[in-house]
Amino acid sequence: MDIRFEQAEARFEGRTILQPLTLSLVEKRIGIIGLNGSGKTTFARMINGLVAPTAGHVTVDGFDTVKQADAVRGRVGFIFQNPQNQIILPILKEDLALGLKRKKLSAAEVKAASDAVLSRFGIAHLAERRAHELSGGELQLAAMASVLVTQPELLIMDEPTNQLDLKNRNLVSRTIEGLHESVVVITHDLDLIGDFERVLLFHQGQLVGDGPADETIEFYRGLAE
Amino acid sequence: MRTLYVEGGSVLHRLSARVKLIGLFLLSLLVFATHSPVLLGIVAVTCAAVYLSLNIGWRQSWLRIRVFSLTIVVVALFTLVLESPAAALETFFRLSAMMLAAAAVTATTTTGDFIDQITAAAWPLERIGLVKAADIGLGVGLVIRFVPEVVMRYQAIRDAHYARGLKMNVISTAVPLIILTLRNADEIAAAIDARSIRGQK
Repeated sequence: MDIRFEQAEARFEGRTILQPLTLSLVEKRIGIIGLNGSGKTTFARMINGLVAPTAGHVTVDGFDTVKQADAVRGRVGFIFQNPQNQIILPILKEDLALGLKRKKLSAAEVKAASDAVLSRFGIAHLAERRAHELSGGELQLAAMASVLVTQPELLIMDEPTNQLDLKNRNLVSRTIEGLHESVVVITHDLDLIGDFERVLLFHQGQLVGDGPADETIEFYRGLAE
Repeated sequence: MRTLYVEGGSVLHRLSARVKLIGLFLLSLLVFATHSPVLLGIVAVTCAAVYLSLNIGWRQSWLRIRVFSLTIVVVALFTLVLESPAAALETFFRLSAMMLAAAAVTATTTTGDFIDQITAAAWPLERIGLVKAADIGLGVGLVIRFVPEVVMRYQAIRDAHYARGLKMNVISTAVPLIILTLRNADEIAAAIDARSIRGQK
């Protein structure tokens, strides 16, 4: 997966959320860190076209995130901070089927794909359950399943361990470790990205750190003091 | 998120969503075609019996229709004052029958089935280029999805008032309720876009 930002900038109501940025991301494990309001989420949302750059452009495998948004979203899945909002239909198996509609599969194929992704995350027993009945960890896994059922190549996760207890946090962490897809994780949970290949640090709308996890995290700790 | 659907094995659960929606539509026509309070009363009682047979529980059954029931009572009272007792009774039974029938259909039909049926019903409009049928289905499904969420949010705002010893009023309730609902709707719209669900055929 090749993500390219070329002088991409995000402004909102006259305020610069993300300064013009040029970079290329090809690693399989990328972490994004920074203080609240530093531009992390805006940066991540630009990767799958949820936020359009106000200047410059962003491409994923050569597809422009604005002009070819459908092609980009077929490759890039996004998991939001609140998994409750990620799951659109209340019953898990219905939600998975909703995501698969664009593929025009038969009912049997939809069931097979849904069963496969639920089994992959060890939550096949939750297929008939309602989202509000799930624990925080189960809900986060369900959100991942809802996105990965369409088989994107890259998964972006916005604070996936936010508000989880230690047990659920570890469950989600192990699941992320086992993903064969490329991942971009925005997080304040620095242990989660401790062994990632590359970590980006944002501060006041600027990319101020970019390198191996240990170096960038150490720099971030100093910045946050 | 919560859902209005209740699992069960009743006859209504087993009926296809299409049959239920067509039945609800025909019932709505029927109750407006007659002006007999007796006939409307029988229809309303029948609908109430069907609704109560779904084993939702008395309390939950009441909570689901409470707001609509109170609205119907207010409308009937206005009719009583402005017209006649017979007209008020007619209005009360007519609206009650529709509400109870709709509540029964909603409790026995999953949101996914609603979306599929509405999408199928809107398909002729898509063929003549007026709408995207899937978007209409998704829109209706989201409305149904949001009903219990708005109620939950109202309860949270009410609890926040109680916790701070404040009395509730229209402004202090409606403003946060609207803002929270719109913010939530924005997030869900973003999730729909991110998952490329909108605009499907």
